[in-house]
Amino acid sequence: MIDIVGIIAADFLNIILITLGGILIALGVHLVPVGGAPAAMAQATGVGTGTVQLAAGAGLTGLVTAGFMMNVTDSLGLILASGTVGAMIMISVTMLVGQWMYVYGVGCPPASAKVKYDPITKDRQDLYVSQGTEGHGIPTASFISGVIGAGLGGLGGSLIYFSLLSIENGLPEADFIGIASIFAIGLFFVNAVIPSYNIGGTIEGFHDPKFKRFPKAVLASFVATFLAAIMGVVAIGGM
Amino acid sequence: MSAGGGGGGAHAAIPQNNIIAFGVVGGLVGIYAAYFLVDMVGPYMSFLGALGAICGIVWGAAAVRRVANYGLGTGVPSIGMLALGIGIIAATFGLAVGGIAGPVVALVFAALIGLVVGILANKVLNMGIPIMVQSMTEIAAAGAITIVGLSTSMIGTFMFFDEVVNGVVVTQGVASGVMTTGYIAVIFIAGGLAILHPYNANLGPDEKQDRTLACAFEKGAIAMIIAGIVATITPFASGSLTILIGVAIWYISFSGFYKRVKRDAFKVTGTGLLPSKEELE
Repeated sequence: MIDIVGIIAADFLNIILITLGGILIALGVHLVPVGGAPAAMAQATGVGTGTVQLAAGAGLTGLVTAGFMMNVTDSLGLILASGTVGAMIMISVTMLVGQWMYVYGVGCPPASAKVKYDPITKDRQDLYVSQGTEGHGIPTASFISGVIGAGLGGLGGSLIYFSLLSIENGLPEADFIGIASIFAIGLFFVNAVIPSYNIGGTIEGFHDPKFKRFPKAVLASFVATFLAAIMGVVAIGGM
Repeated sequence: MSAGGGGGGAHAAIPQNNIIAFGVVGGLVGIYAAYFLVDMVGPYMSFLGALGAICGIVWGAAAVRRVANYGLGTGVPSIGMLALGIGIIAATFGLAVGGIAGPVVALVFAALIGLVVGILANKVLNMGIPIMVQSMTEIAAAGAITIVGLSTSMIGTFMFFDEVVNGVVVTQGVASGVMTTGYIAVIFIAGGLAILHPYNANLGPDEKQDRTLACAFEKGAIAMIIAGIVATITPFASGSLTILIGVAIWYISFSGFYKRVKRDAFKVTGTGLLPSKEELE
């Protein structure tokens, strides 16, 4: 029988780090400009797909880049930086190509309907919003917000992955890496969906009024990730 | 109109409690039958695990249908991914600590995390969906059954670790057979799509429970065929029977789905192929 209390006591730091990673992912999702189905028809600002797809795309790239860095070094800082930058590159490419579609394909200027002036470039927004739409394309503020959000998501994902791989256990290395990575992916999906319920599916970035709701998602994600982290640490630590 | 049962609220021809019983009992019976019969009869009995997974998939799709009817605000796919995300955490935990009781432990702990997420969604995130707590519990548990069932049909057992006798692997476990090889990613997407897609494809004012569930059976059969293809290249499970039965279930359920589509549609007409360049000139 597994000594559950002993494992939790020995790996308590890892449980805390996994929970922190989950909170970072939940916070990061609030910053990514998610437009959902309306944005796919250029009727809302943001990338035209759901939160889960965007967050998972960026976050899983972060996991891959973090795992690649883990091949060559044990340094926590380098691994986290690699995961963060990988996720940032992924979301930047997604938003850039999406932007080309909106500008050259649909033929609409990037504009936000939530603010009158772009908080970063100070450009006027409301004149360029087509009638009957909630904005279109990805304005500068949303783009920068998305890069920051994906960075937080990648940081959280690689922190979870690194913490899971720090747990002492008797598994062969290949099995251990497989279990830790699929576990990190499971946690990533849970923490991408919880904030997407909080923002109701669409958000433009940090300048969107919905961004102020993030403490609720952080609290929800804290509880859910903490519970899952205990189960993960017990399962992996008991092997 | 017919025995289909309407959309809106919780109207359904088949009560949800019957579907819960179908999912839990059918799922666990299928998984345990596969585990014992593979030992006693032969590796080709591993198809029973996929039948258990289909029970879980249909249950999950029925629960998604009920909760997504209220409007989640994010699209239906998110809840399917959430189900499999929770399911994978609970299945890893349950199979690793549970031994022979692994599938039951996985089911219970998936339901527990689902319950917590459901309460958080209503109390903290203020989603205000009355059946959120129950549905989230059901969806997470259905996700766990799907994962354990498909894993069992892929490798013939739900034991987490390899069974080694005198240095020779006599049974491959889930850890090395499904997770390390990466087949878990196939399960994740095939199972997740099977749970989220039926309602996503059928939603609308004329959505009917039996049409959605026929679609769920059909998606479950596709997941079963994929599990069978994987089983043909794993050493302790046999895939041919899984693929054959999967194709049979797919044919029956797709015919049933198409029949219900024709029943519910105002009119079904063939448009023919697109005109060729010569015909347009």
